[in-house]
Amino acid sequence: MKTKNSENYTKWQKSFEQETKIDLKEASSETDEGIEIKPVYTKADIENLSFVDNDSLPGQFPYTRGPKASMYTNRPWTIRQYAGFSTAEESNDFYKKNLKSGQKGLSVAFDLPTHRGYDSDDDLVMGDVGKAGVAIDTVEDMKILFNDIPLDQMSVSMTMNGAVLPVLSSFIVAGEEQNVNKNLLSGTIQNDILKEFMVRNTYIYPPDPSMKIVADIIEFTSKEMPKFNSISISGYHMQEAGADNVLELAYTLADGMEYVRAALSKGLDIDDFAPRLSFFFAIGTDFFMEIAKLRAARTLWYKIMKDFGAKNEKSLILRTHCQTSGVSLTEKDPYNNIIRTSYEALSAILGGTQSLHTNSFDEAIALPTDESARIARNTQLILQNETGVTNTVDPLAGSYFIESLTDELSKKAWEVIEEIESLGGMTKAVKAGVPKLKIEESATKKQAKVDSGSRVVVGVNKFKNPKEPKVDVRVIDNNRVRDDQIKKINDIKASRDQKAVDESLAKLVTAAKEDSNLLARSIDAIKNRATVGEVSKALEQVYGRHFATSLSVSGVYGKHFEGDEDFMNVTKKVNIFEEENGRRPRVLVVKMGQDGHDRGAKIVATSFADMGFDVDMGPLFQSPKDVAKDAIENDVHAIGVSTLAAGHKTLVPELMKSLKEIDPKSKIIVFVGGVIPEQDYDFLYKNNISAIFGPGSNIIESAEKVIDLISDKIHKNN
Amino acid sequence: MQLVEKIIKGERAAIAKAITLVESSRENDKNESRKLISELLNKPGKSIRVGFSGPPGVGKSTFIESFGRYLVEKNYKLGILAIDPSSQITGGSILGDKTRMIEISKNPNTFIRSTPSRGSLGGISAGTREASIILDAAGYDFIFIETVGVGQSETMATNLVDIFSLIVGPGSGDELQGIKKGITEYADIFIVNKNDGDLKSEASKTASDYKSAISYYKKSNDTADKEVLLVSAIEQTGMEKVIETIQNIVSQNKKNKNFDERRAKQLTYWIEEEVREIIQFNIQNKIKADGSISQLSQKVMDGKIQMFEAIEAITQNLQNK
Ligand code: B12
Ligand SMILES: Nc1nc2c(ncn2[C@@H]2O[C@H](COP(=O)(O)OP(=O)(O)O)[C@@H](O)[C@H]2O)c(=O)[nH]1
Ligand SMILES: [Mg+2]
Repeated sequence: MKTKNSENYTKWQKSFEQETKIDLKEASSETDEGIEIKPVYTKADIENLSFVDNDSLPGQFPYTRGPKASMYTNRPWTIRQYAGFSTAEESNDFYKKNLKSGQKGLSVAFDLPTHRGYDSDDDLVMGDVGKAGVAIDTVEDMKILFNDIPLDQMSVSMTMNGAVLPVLSSFIVAGEEQNVNKNLLSGTIQNDILKEFMVRNTYIYPPDPSMKIVADIIEFTSKEMPKFNSISISGYHMQEAGADNVLELAYTLADGMEYVRAALSKGLDIDDFAPRLSFFFAIGTDFFMEIAKLRAARTLWYKIMKDFGAKNEKSLILRTHCQTSGVSLTEKDPYNNIIRTSYEALSAILGGTQSLHTNSFDEAIALPTDESARIARNTQLILQNETGVTNTVDPLAGSYFIESLTDELSKKAWEVIEEIESLGGMTKAVKAGVPKLKIEESATKKQAKVDSGSRVVVGVNKFKNPKEPKVDVRVIDNNRVRDDQIKKINDIKASRDQKAVDESLAKLVTAAKEDSNLLARSIDAIKNRATVGEVSKALEQVYGRHFATSLSVSGVYGKHFEGDEDFMNVTKKVNIFEEENGRRPRVLVVKMGQDGHDRGAKIVATSFADMGFDVDMGPLFQSPKDVAKDAIENDVHAIGVSTLAAGHKTLVPELMKSLKEIDPKSKIIVFVGGVIPEQDYDFLYKNNISAIFGPGSNIIESAEKVIDLISDKIHKNN
Repeated sequence: MQLVEKIIKGERAAIAKAITLVESSRENDKNESRKLISELLNKPGKSIRVGFSGPPGVGKSTFIESFGRYLVEKNYKLGILAIDPSSQITGGSILGDKTRMIEISKNPNTFIRSTPSRGSLGGISAGTREASIILDAAGYDFIFIETVGVGQSETMATNLVDIFSLIVGPGSGDELQGIKKGITEYADIFIVNKNDGDLKSEASKTASDYKSAISYYKKSNDTADKEVLLVSAIEQTGMEKVIETIQNIVSQNKKNKNFDERRAKQLTYWIEEEVREIIQFNIQNKIKADGSISQLSQKVMDGKIQMFEAIEAITQNLQNK
């Protein structure tokens, strides 16, 4: 018997096929996640869903429609912009200005030396001090950072994972010395080490002791800091590293499960700590998918926590911060980024986020200027004040498409979660390197889609702006920052009670050996004015420093270009090169300093290899000297420096110097890729850099340029 | 030859260039390479050449980093040749060994060279033998050669190294049945890696599997004993035992002349190979230059002559040239 519904559908299908001249079956598209997107959804698509309950309401299990009944109708989301640069003094200034202009919460970005547990005076961090975040060496810096910002009133989020012990300790002591007891501190510490091993790369110790530190922090805060989120379980960085939404969602929740187990192993009751677990997701350009992801995340976390036996309702609810996607933003025609960010922000809001960071339009150029940061903040203020999106809770509920997509995404993610669980949980999976490799595979596929033009990026591979605008950039003089920091460190070291420092550090080491709670001990050391670096090094004595092994995908990029003319043109050149020179063009791809952005380097390496190059892959965190030794021993034709964290003006000249030191007649050519403001191009060319490949570079074109440069150089030498 | 002096002085760039030369597939480079090697053979160093083979992922590179760290602390100089598979589809490669050799690659007393295997399926690449001569002349105490796969054990042991060791992982004892003969014959040392954490008991079991497997091997009186060793590259345990074993085998083999005999055999084999390559190359050139093959095969197709007659005629023709 035909229902009215199916009659209508048949009619619709006929019209559709007439209009499009395409068979309906062929008319679906497929997302990066492998989810089929149909041209139309109907009631039939939301019957018999596996995870979504069509009858639930906001603030009711499984919380698909939001963690709270009233959501933004009661209080809008928190505008929380992530920021930090240079010294504590300058960042403090910046924070205060922002708070005056309507920002509500703080979110601190630390510089890379701080993340990796090095003081600013360490030789290893020469190029990185204050460059990509604020430098914090001691509690005195932390006090300056929050000067005139009352910590009993301001909620503070801190992105800190590797050096989480000394940094959280500094925050607690800074509060104390502002006369704010730690039980009044509110905010979040990221403290999510698993995703560091996967994608973010600011780990210090190996996985097992790192997990112990996470658990120590959950234990301590659950007892002493009731208003503080002990962890921010982050998928954000996974998507930014190239994960599709299924991977981001599944790995994040699987990480969460691992942290729950770590905390349980401390003998805590699940309801004592679970309410203070918080989450962090990226919001990319796939508008509906991102909305569905936040709804699916809450739905799945409810199920997971039920299975763990949580009873307190607050334990079952996923609360999340979101950030719009930086990687979706382009260096080319940068004002387009304001538009992209607006749509992403809207996605996050329709998905029901609790707080949000919106990126600045100069994202792919440098840290935001005051001006670009203002526009980014205003994007949210306009959404909150002018558009009416706060008036109705979960306005897309009941949409056939959204509900069906939410369920589909949940199902796919659940499969991946089960896969990770069957490997013995995320710590084990991370040690085996599986998730990292999956994410890199996904990233490589995305790159291939953009490079081949099958995915349009406006202003990059289509609709290019013939007159690129000039934009101002924030310039940080890292040498000056470093000198300032060193002076402060020296002053503190001269005035502190050294004996007390030594004793408290020794106690910390003992605690690590005895497996007792490390946060309490590290607070003592920091109170005595031990530095962030000293605390980190003390633990390094016990745990060692972790070096990641890096695996590589192969064939993923090339597969996308089977039969492609431009691609084959390069492989042909490579083959001719081999015949003429007795070997293939050989390129060493490197990362120097503390810059852990490895997405670009890994993609370029695998793609070049797919085009027939021999590619030497350096490890993360090399010094220019190490790179020079590697390059010369392997007699590479070229070094490709991938640099995103603004260390290039220090590290690249150092590399050129080191090459000449080992081999005064070195003919190795050096080129640079990554985030390089145009203002720095001349400087690099003057340092004999042969080419610069900025964000959005087409890899096939880059490879052709590289092989041409190498061939030219060889011909000139002959 | 200036290059020779620079190599002997240990100049990093010269050593590197020399290795490029001996690895080159360009015909012009081959003669130069032979000349260079001949000169270097007159100035032998003192290196012990040790091969490390094993399936991908057992931890060869990590082991070399860990063992290498142990050795450089004792002031040994290490030359390392790591051979990585080239893609059979694209011909390119990702040489990632150095991401596992972070500490030792910084050390001034090491020289680490990765080499794409090119045609040879992840095994020994053209030029590995020559590269080890260069490192020997440059004064490295040990030369470690890392290759993928067990299939190369014979070539590796007979062509290249003084000691051949196979690195295996916990649980690999089961695969032992199939490959027993080859490895028991050629490997001098079996290193069971990843003897740590949850894997410990499995690793011990694997070690005893190997021990019983090599007990089948009939030992001729004058060779050094084969050894099975348990290590953890990650925790850097078992390293003293590895160096001890290497040194024992070397001194025992030196005492009973096995050491020199092995090297002599390798040299004979090498010369034979070179000769074969030159002849083959010459013939190939002649074949290219000689148009008679296509003519005669056409005649065979047309049924004018028989195939064996054509072959005979061509061979005669080429030999007389
Ligand atoms: C993705 C990303 C991340 C990811 C990194 C994931 C990973 N594993 O790589 C995450 C979220 C973890 C992250 C973290 C941080 N990030 Co970030 N990040 C980005 C972002 C948004 C995109 C970079 C990217 O991967 N793009 C995609 C790849 C494919 O492009 P690419 O690397 O540029 O490579 C292309 C070309 O440049 C070129 N190329 C690059 N290298 C090479 C090499 C060769 C040989 C060749 C031929 C070509 C080539 O070809 C590639 C293909 O087109 C940029 C902003 C932006 N849009 O560029 C900020 C950015 C680089 N990050 C920034 C910062 C500050 C950080 C943090 C330090 C923040 C903090 N204080 O904690 C952290 C720390 C990370 C760390 N350990 O170093 C800043 C750096 C500021 C600056 N340079 O002045 C940027 C510029 C954002 C900003 N404006 O503030 N980040
Ligand atoms: N548990 C454990 N893992 C190891 C050990 N040695 C290497 N590994 C891991 O095994 C993987 C492969 O190591 P690698 O050295 O690249 O192997 P190769 O392919 O044989 O050179 C890496 O993930 C290493 O971390 C070890 O001693 N113990
Ligand atoms: Mg290896």
